[in-house]
Amino acid sequence: MGIPGDGKLIEWRIREGATIEKDEACIVVEESCSHEVQFRGLCAICGKDMTEMDWSSEIPETSRATINMTHDNTGLTVSSNLAARVEHATQRRLLEQRKLSLVVDLDQTIIHACIEPTIGEWQSDPTNPNYESVKDVRSFQLDDDGPRGLAMGCSYYIKMRPGLAEFLESMADMYEMHVYTMGTRAYAKKIAEIIDPDQKYFGNRVISRDENGNIVSKNLKRLFPVSTDMVAIIDDRSDVWPRNRPNLVKVTPYDFFKGIGDINSSFLPKRQDILPSPPKAPNGDGSPPTTNNADATVNKEASALDDLVSMSSGQDKALQRQQAAEQERSLEKQIKERPLLHMQEELDKEDEVAHKAEDANDSTQLSSASSQARHHVLRDDDDELTHISRHLTNLHKEFYRSYDERKPTSKDDLSLVPDAGYILDELKGNVLRGCVIVLSGLVPLGIDVLQSELGLQIMGFGADLDTQISRRVTHLVISTQRPRTEKLRQAAKIPSIKIVNQYWLIDCLSQWKALDETPYLVSVHSSDRKRQLAAKPVEEPVSDADEDENGEGGTTLTIIDESNQGLAVDLEEEDDGDDENEASEDDEDHGDNKLIIDVDHVMPHQLEEGSTSPIDGLKTFDWEGADDELAEFLGSDASDFDEDEEDGEGGLDDEDEDQQGEDDKSAEPSSVPTPSSQSGVKRKAGSDGEKESQDESDAKRRRLTNGEASETTPAEDSLPSPRIRTARMTDRGRGLKQGSAIEEERRGSFEEDLEADLLAELEAQENG
Amino acid sequence: MFFLYNMERRVTLHPSYFGRNMKELVTTKLVQDVEGTCAGDYYIIVIMDAFDISEGRILPGTGLAEFTVGYRAVVWRPFKGETVDAVVASVNHQGFFANAGPLKLFVSAHLIPSEIKWDPNATPPQFTNNEDMVIEKSTQVRVKIIGIRSEVGEMWAIGSIKEDYLGCLQES
Repeated sequence: MGIPGDGKLIEWRIREGATIEKDEACIVVEESCSHEVQFRGLCAICGKDMTEMDWSSEIPETSRATINMTHDNTGLTVSSNLAARVEHATQRRLLEQRKLSLVVDLDQTIIHACIEPTIGEWQSDPTNPNYESVKDVRSFQLDDDGPRGLAMGCSYYIKMRPGLAEFLESMADMYEMHVYTMGTRAYAKKIAEIIDPDQKYFGNRVISRDENGNIVSKNLKRLFPVSTDMVAIIDDRSDVWPRNRPNLVKVTPYDFFKGIGDINSSFLPKRQDILPSPPKAPNGDGSPPTTNNADATVNKEASALDDLVSMSSGQDKALQRQQAAEQERSLEKQIKERPLLHMQEELDKEDEVAHKAEDANDSTQLSSASSQARHHVLRDDDDELTHISRHLTNLHKEFYRSYDERKPTSKDDLSLVPDAGYILDELKGNVLRGCVIVLSGLVPLGIDVLQSELGLQIMGFGADLDTQISRRVTHLVISTQRPRTEKLRQAAKIPSIKIVNQYWLIDCLSQWKALDETPYLVSVHSSDRKRQLAAKPVEEPVSDADEDENGEGGTTLTIIDESNQGLAVDLEEEDDGDDENEASEDDEDHGDNKLIIDVDHVMPHQLEEGSTSPIDGLKTFDWEGADDELAEFLGSDASDFDEDEEDGEGGLDDEDEDQQGEDDKSAEPSSVPTPSSQSGVKRKAGSDGEKESQDESDAKRRRLTNGEASETTPAEDSLPSPRIRTARMTDRGRGLKQGSAIEEERRGSFEEDLEADLLAELEAQENG
Repeated sequence: MFFLYNMERRVTLHPSYFGRNMKELVTTKLVQDVEGTCAGDYYIIVIMDAFDISEGRILPGTGLAEFTVGYRAVVWRPFKGETVDAVVASVNHQGFFANAGPLKLFVSAHLIPSEIKWDPNATPPQFTNNEDMVIEKSTQVRVKIIGIRSEVGEMWAIGSIKEDYLGCLQES
């Protein structure tokens, strides 16, 4: 049964005189052509026009070949049978070569592009502080189908992710690579010329948004219509791969040109998974880098439109034009406003101020030692590709190990091919197994955490995600931008919860390792801590019992506490626990993370390379010395010190309890006189910190308050609250050592505190 | 096949161009509008001359003047069965795409002689018989058209090189 086609008549099914009672086949025809390959409505085998309809056609002939599987053309379609044959042939070939397929995204995954003319200027100016960073940036112009208007004929500046050449080189042995980008065809071609001039790695396997057929999402079915078993993807966005999540290795977005984002993303829905990147470019005053603001405005602008996009199927031509216009606008904005130039100017200004004040803080010293005296906006310190390379190597190894285990008798038996997506899931699923994570301040309100991008990712890595703080929770991940939330207060009461900042999560997800939390632990604000201490006597026995139940030894007290008792417990037990974890993981990861086991070198060595940690200042700190000193100290008079402190805090509690609802800013003056019952050590620590940070923060305050200096003078005197300072110091430094590195590190946070306190003070005065 | 063809077209001219060299302007505009376009099932390659330019008529409402122009042009109409020379644009496992001037051709693997095989491991990927025939991007090929279809402003064709004297041109 089917369409009467051209061909040879083989058999009559009906006889003369027979009665036809219902529909039945009356003749058998052998077709001369099955029209399996069609090009723009023409059969590519016999050349017949497939769009012609006549009286006998029920279904158009074009429906015989509907699958589009060529990279660089939309007109060519094949039948599903043929697609399967082709793909099986490809799989056999790859199995023979022991390769897999790898689909590679361009923007923010392996390159970062922008069109800001400032880059060109910096490139030609060796005296510019950014010269070192931009000198290997490549540029090209798109002549034909680039954006119109002001952005027409502009230069595109392409920064390759550090280590890209080596990455491609090593991956080419294990993977057949495809480019899959949301940029235009011409753009994709240009990039391919830059990253792969000899067409060694990608050949002509480049697919762009022009051929994708959908401008809001990517789909592996477009390239691998039958089976995605042997395919892996690397992309910085997981939301564009709604159907192929298992195959995706998510990459931390490469953000070299700060605040530019992805120049080809205006067609995509607004990304939901942005975690603020670690503040790599230290600004003089520790305020959040301007980049985030620029980013936010760009996103805001596009959001209304993007919402539309996500609702529509992307087929609407008018909408597409509108989006193209949108993209043009954002590109023009880049050219006109030159955000990078402004950022650099701001940095320069800050530098000047800093020089005048004559106290270069630690971050200035760090960066000036490495490069120039002037700060530069662009930093070239990304090491994501090394991680990705490791993950992909593991995947390849696992895939062929499990393939070989199944002992395929011949290459033709494709049923034994394991699913790369499944293997990837397994590899990922072990990373955070056993962790129960609660997020705070990271997922926007109104979005279901369990459905959010970040949430899905966390669950993909084997962790349980919870929305409420409870006893089974092991980690609370909070945003450094919003460090004081209700969840934090709740979590502070339960000592088994590790409170870490989002960088821990970012780094874990990037390195596929449950990293040691110590460098990421978040200091709990003293007013939040208060309640915890008040509640402590009640909590403690419970938590012990709880821990036994969990059977998760080694995490008795994980928030480093004000009381040094807690600190000691934390140090010993936590490290033990980590030893076990790391050892078991080593088998899979094949070494490379020995350092984490090493209690004395607490910083994971990956961080040292990439310096993605927000606490770089601690690197130079002598931890061994600190530990020794601490151990000695604890051994001698830990008990009575603890008592002292409990008393002191208890006294303070009464004072503070009244102001619990508000921040303790307003409580500042009352808490100034340090209760004499507090330990001497603590006092000393507090006043030391005060003295050292005083000069620098003075300058800061003057800038901040402008002409109102006279008003603030009394506040300034009464401001430094030893209590707060002590809490911070013990939390951060996890030791009482007055090491210089720690001191410097602390200053940033003091300044923030002081700033906030001061502002509150001012407000109060103005209102009163 | 190429033809010399007489055609007619209406050309409009903006009032700001009204003046002595109007005829010249009309011809220029005609050339701009028409040359290199696809008109149904043929391409207008080049305009030889505009031999008859009518009086201009002002269109009511707009002020534009409309001229009816008779002109002679060289057109190319590809026929089924015609043999053309083309340049390969891209190659994939299904076959290869080639451009014969403005015409986009596809030659499927079924219509490539069976000794010329798809080699995905070569850089760049190519069709080759491992001797003198290598079909990759920018190879010149001689192709016989076996099917044509046109839509507004565009035409496509299916080609074959599975006959004598067809295929790669470079070695000969």
